[in-house]
Amino acid sequence: MLTCKQVSKVLQNEDYENLSPLRRFLLMFHIKLCAVCGKFNRQVIDSQDMCCNFKRQEESLLEKEPPMDADRKDALKKLLSEQSGDSTLHRS
Amino acid sequence: MFSSTHMTFIDGHAASVIVPRKSTVTSQPKVPITPPEKWVELYSDYLYGFAMSRLRDPEASADCVQDTFLAGIKALNRFDGSRDIKFWLRGIMRNKIVDQIRKTVKENKVDIDSEDETLLESFWFRFSGIATTNPEPWQFNPRKQYDNTEFWVVFRECIDSVKNPARQAFVLRVLEDMTTEEVCKIMDITPNYLWVLLHRARQQLKELLEEKWTGPDVM
Ligand SMILES: [Zn+2]
Repeated sequence: MLTCKQVSKVLQNEDYENLSPLRRFLLMFHIKLCAVCGKFNRQVIDSQDMCCNFKRQEESLLEKEPPMDADRKDALKKLLSEQSGDSTLHRS
Repeated sequence: MFSSTHMTFIDGHAASVIVPRKSTVTSQPKVPITPPEKWVELYSDYLYGFAMSRLRDPEASADCVQDTFLAGIKALNRFDGSRDIKFWLRGIMRNKIVDQIRKTVKENKVDIDSEDETLLESFWFRFSGIATTNPEPWQFNPRKQYDNTEFWVVFRECIDSVKNPARQAFVLRVLEDMTTEEVCKIMDITPNYLWVLLHRARQQLKELLEEKWTGPDVM
């Protein structure tokens, strides 16, 4: 039987979803029955789940970010053409 | 030359077959290399957006894009064409973002405040690794919003509003999937203090979402 501290420690270092089925079972068994850490660690798991789902959406959300400053882009273009001049000549 | 044994899937069944090492390498689809002169046009907004989502600082984010491109040019001969160069650059950028956070943390040393210290010395943390036995329940069920893009837009805004250093810890540990050990090293903090910071980040995220999310299922 796991202790509350062990359950909390596992959840600090790993996402619940990434644990082996056995460990998931042991953890959930404890959380469902424990009056001490049950509610708290349940919220930790819910938060992990939410963040994991957010990360799956993140790529599409990046399109909504503001673009980079135009002047900064021009300066960067200039810098890159200077820097890459040699390396691109030698390619192909 | 048959050099190694690989597990291959044939019609969904795993089979152990011998594959010439050379042919597995050459059969990988090659993605054409976009010349660096076009990087700004094609990838700067994408990378800038990504850096902003991690650093929330326009100047530092633009610096990160620049450092990424320069590092990319230097490492271009090591680009193997196995994936889109955009994602290869994003991989380089991840290190630049970590460097940036490390620099910020070094300039503003993360100091444990008295409230956090009280939490770490509390009975519940020491004996059960928790902050409280009775946390506030959610005012709505976030799981029901997972298919709603608007919810994730709000979620993203809420992450921006989490205060440093909790936000920095959250970015490294949760969004960048680094280990506890790696994050503690970058931020120069103990694992217990990282736990406090992540707890604070979760708490703030919950409060912010409850305040900002006005979509369906709000009780
Ligand atoms: Zn417990």
